[in-house]
Amino acid sequence: MKEIVIISGKGGTGKTSLTSSFTMLSGNDLIAADCDVDAPDMHLLLKPDLAKSYEFYSGELAVIDYDKCTSCGICMEVCRFDAFSIIDDLYKISKINCEGCAYCSYVCPEKAIEMVTQNVGKWYISNIKSGSQMVHAHLNVGAENSGKLVAKVKNEARRIAKETDKKYILVDGSPGIGCPVISSLTGADFVVIVTEPTASGIHDLKRVNDLVKRFNIKCSGIINKCDINPAACREIEDYFTAEGIHHLVSLSYDENFTKAMTEGKTIVEYDNGELYNKINNAWENITDLLQTKGESQ
Amino acid sequence: MKIAFSTKGEGWDAEMDPRFGRAAYFLIYDEDKDTLETADNGKVADMAHGAGPQAAQLLFQYKPDVLITGNGPGGNADRVLRQTGIKIYIGAMSGTVKQAYDKYKNNELKVF
Repeated sequence: MKEIVIISGKGGTGKTSLTSSFTMLSGNDLIAADCDVDAPDMHLLLKPDLAKSYEFYSGELAVIDYDKCTSCGICMEVCRFDAFSIIDDLYKISKINCEGCAYCSYVCPEKAIEMVTQNVGKWYISNIKSGSQMVHAHLNVGAENSGKLVAKVKNEARRIAKETDKKYILVDGSPGIGCPVISSLTGADFVVIVTEPTASGIHDLKRVNDLVKRFNIKCSGIINKCDINPAACREIEDYFTAEGIHHLVSLSYDENFTKAMTEGKTIVEYDNGELYNKINNAWENITDLLQTKGESQ
Repeated sequence: MKIAFSTKGEGWDAEMDPRFGRAAYFLIYDEDKDTLETADNGKVADMAHGAGPQAAQLLFQYKPDVLITGNGPGGNADRVLRQTGIKIYIGAMSGTVKQAYDKYKNNELKVF
């Protein structure tokens, strides 16, 4: 069983479009894990049935016990996030502003402030239209993704893949290089970076590649919308070569990406032509590389 | 020499955890005394953010000279670990703790 993680650094490069296409191409060989929990999109394309749903708890927020509170105001003085206000002579904590640092709880002389674990959303195990399963999550409004939630989604995907003897786990990572991305990378066998020839695309490609190198994971790259800036595209190709990133494929800007999306389809369901062939070749390339990597070990 | 392992369980037959910050346990083997201690990292693994540095802090209490893990700690955890001069070996992605220890003894692991 091999774990493949797809990331991009920059958002909007086509990462999820490609992840869901690979999911469809591999059919029942693969468990998908959507770890882009801040803005999960894979469900739009893969039509999960939400077969099993679980509550997810993460992080703590301060809660005042008014039976103990003497309104001394020390909490409000120390709070660095302006989470306190006085409403009708009572100290109130804004759930949006509270960062859960617990400073107020620590200094309260009456021990009237408790840190309470928060329900931040749900996570699911679903059957999807590729014939396989997907692990994914949905956050409540204002809740944020975390390394913890990503670890949860990945561990569940790994457990199911083991139980059902799947060949691959395909992880749709989140943009950026922060906690959730770090969490999505650990334990992976192979990374695919989806990038685009724009200034921010290149900048974020370099940042995320530095992170991947730190974890010593074999890395490959896809240049999407490669024809929108040929000079920048060459810069990426040179960077791939210099960094030893295996260049899987370059895809031209193609409105079929958007058309497929608006119909709720993956590109490989919508387009049977050149685009299909290129994406299919890229997926075969990935599985071949994993094969040879396995043999050399 | 004290050697720490990031693991999914307890005992020599426990599976290695390639993660550092959110590993379930750290096992600390004291080569001189031939004892295997368990540090439960469950509370740290359960944190929403900042698991890496917290895990490093937990590990310090056991004063290990060497850490054996899978991918290697992330940037923040690494910065904390560097302060102690601990030697980090990576590449023990799976298999048992015993196998990881043998790999370390045979110089098959990479220095992080």
